[in-house]
Amino acid sequence: MTTLSGAAGTGDRPAVNRNVTGRRRNRWFAQVGWRHLVAVLGVLFSLFPIVFVLSAALNPLGTLSTTELVPTGGVSLGNFSGLFERTAFERWFLNSLLIAGVASFASVFLSALAAYAFSRMRFRGRRVGLLSLLLIQMFPQFLAIVAIYLIFGTITDLWPSIGFNTPWGLLLLYMGGALGVNTWLMKGFFDTLPRELDESATMDGASHAQVFFRIMLPLVAPILAVTGLLAFIGTINEFLMANVFLTSTDSKTLAVGMYGMLQGNERNNNFGIFAAGTLLTAIPTVLVFQLLQRYIVSGLTAGAVKG
Amino acid sequence: MRIRTAGVVALFALALAASGCGGDSDKPAAKESPKAAGGKLVIWADDKRTAALKPFAEKFGTENGVTVEVQAVSKDLQTNFVTASQQGSGPDVVVGAHDWIGNLVQNGAIEPVQLAAAQKSAFNETAIKAVTFNGQLFGVPYAQENLALIRNTELAPEAPKTIEDLVASGKKLKAEKKATETLCLQVGQNGDAYHIYPLYTSAGGYLFGAAANGDYDPKDLGVGKPASIEAFKKIGALGEKGEGVLKRSIADTNSIATFTGKKCAYLVSGPWAVADVKKANIKYDISAIPGFAGGKEAQPFVGVQAFYVAAKGKNKALAQEFVANYTTTPELAVALYNAEPRPPALTAALDQVKGSDPDLAKFQEAGRNGQVLPAIPAMAAIWDPFGKAEAAVIGGADPTSTITAAGKTISGQIK
Amino acid sequence: MSTPLSGPGSATQTPGRGPVDSRPPRSRAAHHAPITLSGLVGKVLLLGLTAGIAVWAAFPLIDGEKWAGLALLAATTAGLFYLYLTRRHIPAKYLVPGTLFLIAFQVIPVLYTASTAFTNFGDGHRGSKDEAIVAIQTSSVTQLPGSTEYALSVATKGDPATGPLVFLVTDPATGTVSAGDTGGLRQLDADDVAVATGGKVTAADGYTVLNFGQASARSKEITDLVVPTAGGALRSSGLSRAYEGKAVRAYEAGCDCVRDTATGQTWTADEEVGAFVAADGERLAQGWKINVGLRNFTRVLTDENISGPFLGTLIWNFAFAIGSTGGTFLLGMLIALVLHSPRMRGTNLYRVLLVLPYAMPSFAMLLAWRDMFNADFGLINNLFGLDVDWFGQPWTARFAVILVQLWLGYPYMFLVATGALQAIPRELTEATSVDGASPWQSFRAVTLPLLLVALSPLLISSFAYNFNNFNAIYLTTEGAPFPADNPTNGATDLLITYTYRLAFGGQGAEFGFAAAISLFIFAIVAVVSTVGFRRTRKQEEVYS
Repeated sequence: MTTLSGAAGTGDRPAVNRNVTGRRRNRWFAQVGWRHLVAVLGVLFSLFPIVFVLSAALNPLGTLSTTELVPTGGVSLGNFSGLFERTAFERWFLNSLLIAGVASFASVFLSALAAYAFSRMRFRGRRVGLLSLLLIQMFPQFLAIVAIYLIFGTITDLWPSIGFNTPWGLLLLYMGGALGVNTWLMKGFFDTLPRELDESATMDGASHAQVFFRIMLPLVAPILAVTGLLAFIGTINEFLMANVFLTSTDSKTLAVGMYGMLQGNERNNNFGIFAAGTLLTAIPTVLVFQLLQRYIVSGLTAGAVKG
Repeated sequence: MRIRTAGVVALFALALAASGCGGDSDKPAAKESPKAAGGKLVIWADDKRTAALKPFAEKFGTENGVTVEVQAVSKDLQTNFVTASQQGSGPDVVVGAHDWIGNLVQNGAIEPVQLAAAQKSAFNETAIKAVTFNGQLFGVPYAQENLALIRNTELAPEAPKTIEDLVASGKKLKAEKKATETLCLQVGQNGDAYHIYPLYTSAGGYLFGAAANGDYDPKDLGVGKPASIEAFKKIGALGEKGEGVLKRSIADTNSIATFTGKKCAYLVSGPWAVADVKKANIKYDISAIPGFAGGKEAQPFVGVQAFYVAAKGKNKALAQEFVANYTTTPELAVALYNAEPRPPALTAALDQVKGSDPDLAKFQEAGRNGQVLPAIPAMAAIWDPFGKAEAAVIGGADPTSTITAAGKTISGQIK
Repeated sequence: MSTPLSGPGSATQTPGRGPVDSRPPRSRAAHHAPITLSGLVGKVLLLGLTAGIAVWAAFPLIDGEKWAGLALLAATTAGLFYLYLTRRHIPAKYLVPGTLFLIAFQVIPVLYTASTAFTNFGDGHRGSKDEAIVAIQTSSVTQLPGSTEYALSVATKGDPATGPLVFLVTDPATGTVSAGDTGGLRQLDADDVAVATGGKVTAADGYTVLNFGQASARSKEITDLVVPTAGGALRSSGLSRAYEGKAVRAYEAGCDCVRDTATGQTWTADEEVGAFVAADGERLAQGWKINVGLRNFTRVLTDENISGPFLGTLIWNFAFAIGSTGGTFLLGMLIALVLHSPRMRGTNLYRVLLVLPYAMPSFAMLLAWRDMFNADFGLINNLFGLDVDWFGQPWTARFAVILVQLWLGYPYMFLVATGALQAIPRELTEATSVDGASPWQSFRAVTLPLLLVALSPLLISSFAYNFNNFNAIYLTTEGAPFPADNPTNGATDLLITYTYRLAFGGQGAEFGFAAAISLFIFAIVAVVSTVGFRRTRKQEEVYS
């Protein structure tokens, strides 16, 4: 099997020559090696600011003015222990996992439903609907806060259990953004699936729901995983609305809690702890990514198209 | 057939709903009864103060048979408080800096606090002045803060008398390779009006003139006047194209760190910096920020942290009780000091902690000639243009045109 | 809501008019197939849940007598039942769940915000005129000079929770106790009361003294209780003190003005600005919200501060959005392609490391980047031995913010492109290779078009997002560098950060004005996106 793409993959002609090893090395570089080179460069670009944060987290003085990548004042884990002693970090962590987990799952589901309709069905207002989904997202959120207070003020009066200071209220609000960029993304992927698949299923008597749940969803597993991850990251980093909703210390999410550390004059003193928190925040995301990776890179689709 | 299926589904669904809500409906009734017993007090503060307040608020709650909740708003506490108050979902008490008062009052978000004469006189005079707006007391102060000059006594044993002294001594240290910067005074890319203000006043500038009743007068704007241009000429001479003492690269994120890293001998900062300085094991002393030779005194801003009673709170009587009669006790002030070492505004509390912390008296001394940070709403229009003009002048821009333009922008923003 | 198929889909000319509508001709034969047990149970459960939630939500509405809300709730629930029990409106079945949330929490807030563009809504003008009057009067209540400070206990003659309230006040000088209510003060017999050391009454014959818990539950009644006295009125200050005070300023309906009883000065209501204004032009701080019509919009167009630098900012705004989107897309796609080879080893590890920037909280990393660009102390200058004042010069600052966006955003594109590459049937690319096409040709002919099908909607939305990417600027340069003589418009300012400064930088937030500018920006982005969107129509039907 040949490489799919790339400028240097040039066939598999066997090389029978005296300089076999040299050639082989060249060929290895031409086919795979350069890929490693590019990937390593990309990784370096990705990691370099993170190393900076890591060095701030390990710096016992915990300040932002580390001009060196390696802290000169010695290395200590004091900032990490300080994080757990001085803040409710573990609570924030759990809250974030819960909210981001539920919100990403629910929003991927809502999004997939809508994307299926947008991709496979033709109805009046379809393209207008798609465009409106995009445009709605573009209104500046900091202006909408006033209206959010208005809506949730009423909700809190009537149904306190889904109002301010509850994760449920925040989840409801996040569901408002479920149809949006992710729907577009999924619709794009649904579009790439051959129509013959669901048409033949329909011919065999499957209902639209069966087509959706039994045929489409498994086929788009990679993109469900990607959007799930994106939604997860988006929710874990969401700050503006969570700040309005969650004010009691125990109900905060990571983003809100950590931003609180940086307020005003605190920015200097807390940066080490903050950097430690930033690194720990990345852990759930990386774990979720690991978990979803096999779906993202699975060959399910290729197999299904054949059949 | 179709209709029948639909009907069966609907029936099932309704039955399910009925069984579901049977469990639900008696819950609210059960919940309401304990709530009715005592009132509930909600306090909003920023994260740090929330942590300090919590035990005391809870104590107030158990002593009086009420529920007290301290909630932290991590960002934009002031705006969120005003917006939430307006929609009726705000707290009963809010904790914040005194320069919010103007904006909170114009939005009808807070109410005056009535303190007895004896209660009032227990406070530091400046603190009371800071929370007085339009002749009314709008909050109860608990801590006070101002900038001072913190110096590394190993590098600079003597407190400089003038800026010129400071520059000369700092330059000498630089020449001897004992330091890399002359002065750590945070400027940042877009300036910092709060930190440059002492130098600005020493060089003869002012922000607002005084009205007849002693309040700041927004109609008399000092920025853009000849005196302010002269002041910025002096500041510019210390800038990047001049002496190189003031630099935009020294910013809020690195100014204290540069000092604790022993890269500069002098730091202009407030009580919040001391914890870091101590942690870095630096021998330090605190003195007033020096002025220019032959100029006026350098006057730092004096800011006050205070408790306010929300005008649209659900439990105003309890809020007033808490703010007027509980936060005025020295115990609470000392506890808040222990959480964060800023000089208490209650004289009794200050006296109590002064003995163990000599820095407090020094900071207070440095702020003796300070100016109360203006609380009038017009002040909000100053910060941004003033800071940017400062950064531009320090970067080498022409003071005359820069400050004139800043003055124009500010007066355009003031109604 | 969306109507079902309005006719044959433009592209799906298959005999059965597309997948959805292909049932009718066959339904007689196949109509048992769709009703499976699991489907039925699922439907019953979900509809039951819906009904349960509706019933749960109805009780507070009934308690609060919010009939309009109840009607809306009933209509929505009935609508949902109809939708999922009928066989028609199939697209709506899929769209409605998300759309309901979208309308409640996105569309309504946006519409509400847009409506404020026609008002002067902002600091000092947030509430109604009545609220402003209340605020003016209450904040003018001052203690009468030289008047007595009383110790207060709240009491009642009836039930602690409901009985009419009475203030029991003790004069600290004389120790006399009086009872006060709206009728005035009456002195009580010293034998009938028990007074604690602080002066507070602890018990009185005929009265039940409320403890703090009981009293605080009736907070509003306590603050509203005003006991008239000769000089003014006795009010509570908390639950343990009372003072004699007087509202110095009062509203007079006759002249529609506020009068200061101490100085005699008046401020007349000006409905044009929403404030009380004195003859000399002085305004009372507490104003109210009024409709200003199109004034905010004309201000956007005529204000020199806004229209002057507008074009330059707009151009940079486009450059930033295109640069960020294009850069992240190219880099992300490149790396995805590089890793998309069956012979690559260690791709899992690479992917995890590459995705890290996206996993880090972006606001934290923006702050870290800002520090890395510091001219004297920054990591970048130090590491590479440069001496560049990154945020001090327009072009280096612009380069820097785009670089930061590239770092933050390319993992996203990388992920999406990886997913998209997986979804492209391998047979297609293999087929072209067999045909003798070079990898580049096969990429151009097969991979790229398919990638674009999947990603072009995303590119548009990424463009739209970056066009309004507030944090990217606000947490790094804050718009810097600024021309020395113009502190309002910087070289890296986007329209959104610029708006923010104009609307919130002055004497308090001006939401109405900000909403008006936002509508202008919105119109621009909408036009651009719509044009871009039209071009996706062709790609969408690539398989049909």
